Amino acid sequence: MFKLLTIPSSIEEIEKTKNIVNGFIIGIEDMCVNTNLCINDLEILKKIDKEVFINLNKNMHNSDLMKIEKLLDELDNFNIKGVLYYDIAVFNIYKKKKHNYDLVWYMEHATTNYAGVNYWNSLGVKYTYISSDISKEEIDLIIEKSKSKLMVTMFGYLPMFVSKRHIVKNYLEYFNLKDNSKVNYIEKDGNTYPIIDNSLGTSVYSSHILNGIKEVINLNIDYVVLNSFNIDLEKFIKVINFFKNVNNDNVLEYDENIKKLFDNTDECFLNKKTIYRVKK
Amino acid sequence: MKKVELLSPAGDLERLKIALMYGADAVYIGGPMLSLRANAINFTFDEIKEAVKFAHSLHKKVYVTVNIILHNEELNLVNKYLKKLERCGIDAVIVSDPVVIKEALDNTKLEVHISTQGSTSNIESVKFWKNMGATRVVLARECTKDEIKEIIDNVDIEIETFIHGAMCAGYSGRCVMSNFLTNRDANRGGCSQICRWDFDLYSENKKEIKGDKPFTFCSKDLSMLKYLGNMIDIGITSLKIEGRMRSLYYIATVVSIYRKAIDEYYETGKIKNIDKYEKILRRCANRDSVPQFFNGVYDSTCSYYNGRVEVSNQDFLGIVLEYNKETKIATIEQRNYFKKGDIVEIFGPNHGTITYKFNIIIDEDGKQIDIVRHPRQIVKIKIDEFVENYDLIRIKS
Repeated sequence: MFKLLTIPSSIEEIEKTKNIVNGFIIGIEDMCVNTNLCINDLEILKKIDKEVFINLNKNMHNSDLMKIEKLLDELDNFNIKGVLYYDIAVFNIYKKKKHNYDLVWYMEHATTNYAGVNYWNSLGVKYTYISSDISKEEIDLIIEKSKSKLMVTMFGYLPMFVSKRHIVKNYLEYFNLKDNSKVNYIEKDGNTYPIIDNSLGTSVYSSHILNGIKEVINLNIDYVVLNSFNIDLEKFIKVINFFKNVNNDNVLEYDENIKKLFDNTDECFLNKKTIYRVKK
Repeated sequence: MKKVELLSPAGDLERLKIALMYGADAVYIGGPMLSLRANAINFTFDEIKEAVKFAHSLHKKVYVTVNIILHNEELNLVNKYLKKLERCGIDAVIVSDPVVIKEALDNTKLEVHISTQGSTSNIESVKFWKNMGATRVVLARECTKDEIKEIIDNVDIEIETFIHGAMCAGYSGRCVMSNFLTNRDANRGGCSQICRWDFDLYSENKKEIKGDKPFTFCSKDLSMLKYLGNMIDIGITSLKIEGRMRSLYYIATVVSIYRKAIDEYYETGKIKNIDKYEKILRRCANRDSVPQFFNGVYDSTCSYYNGRVEVSNQDFLGIVLEYNKETKIATIEQRNYFKKGDIVEIFGPNHGTITYKFNIIIDEDGKQIDIVRHPRQIVKIKIDEFVENYDLIRIKS
């Protein structure tokens, strides 16, 4: 049976969910795309016995390298299970010292095959966070053939774009418009996508909330991740409970319950492969 | 001092020959599979062999992109494919998936270049790839001049950066909008360029935010001509032009301009005709271009709010197929409408730009005509200056 991790959006959320989840994935400000939490917020985790993973998933530039080293050292003071990395700089700096936590390969759109997982495993990376861009069938094969411990998102808005550019701010500036939203939305063909422009640049999420509750029943994975980004906390707590208690008997009911909570859920790519070759 | 490499894209054999003849030191191409331009024509193995033979006869190089992110179903193709490419005699593979990188390094003697798809943007990541055995890293387009220099000063490996062409709006490899909006896999060559679409923008209270033009992710193209000297001075190994889907005219024009500029810089320490060169480059692409991240400026001046109104380029008028030195008759294949009296420029790999006025134009039936309006129409003109096969004709700038 999988362990349940969430990606919390606030300390309040951690407090309210700490007794129903197995652990958290916490993004650290300035080192993680789209997070509201910082290293000081980790103090709260010292008081609770949960599996904690730290997310450092931004693209790193030279000016970040010293900060990474300092942060990786600081994390030794916390009871951390692992650090998620997108940029290989994190791996290279991590390897220079002995740390009391492991690494998680989280190159979010590249963790799409089992050989890649095993490549990083051979270099000492014990965990991989599987991409949300692939089907359940592909995930199953990765699980079957990988040596690493695996995690995958099964609920939440999915990341689909990251840029260093301030794409919303540039637009506002160019046309002399005013807006201070923390989250904006872009719409195309009736679908609405959350877009965030913060100090690190711009990120965009899927229009639909992935609801993979029907698929987790038969998913032989180590960790299932639920992401609370842009989700009402009370509703999210209900979702956590559905995932925590789901079994063959109640799965259809829970699936319906989630659909009643949100009018924009889908199974994303779980049952739909992307097109590789457009032209034959 | 080793001269910087000018690296051109080539979508097919004809464009490959054009690129090399017009001054590229190396070309990068897509093979039959596992390349990020799944929708392009791409090269067969026989064409790759011919490309290599042609390039090597000019002491130039051919790199093949094997830069998709693999899914399970592609894993069993990699080994055999890389070995076949190796047997074609190519000079390197450009790769991004760690599985392909490992396979190429462990089981072939191919040189490995890390694709920009990996968004390598710092010293530590470059060190990692060097230690793994890569000989070159194509840096992320988000790197500034100072960052590139720091990397070159700290890691002994070849560094390649882009100098010209279209830009991704996001970090390469981190945009899968195409997957979500069109079900076409961006990291396996299916990118449908969602970044160029228009969207409606709303605040967090769902209030519409509307400028004079629609919201878009679209960025201007990259043009580094003004910074070419800087790029050479900091020690970049290879300067890459974007665009394996680009036309023959685009390739010839952009390669020849950068060739002239690079040679001029090495000879004189400066580039005199930057404004003229930039004018030709701008007309050729028909899109605004800026230096983007290199100078640290990536504000709204880099964004492109044109409502997707782009006029197709009509500058490219024809290509010279043949020249008879005795009769001074050139045979031309038309590519865009032209007529008697038009003043044009003929440029080629082996001579300077010739200004020419169409006077007598003869069609295939030997009749004199005033207008050449049919696509790929073959006509003959009389021209005293020597021209040759693969010379191109464009509207006078």
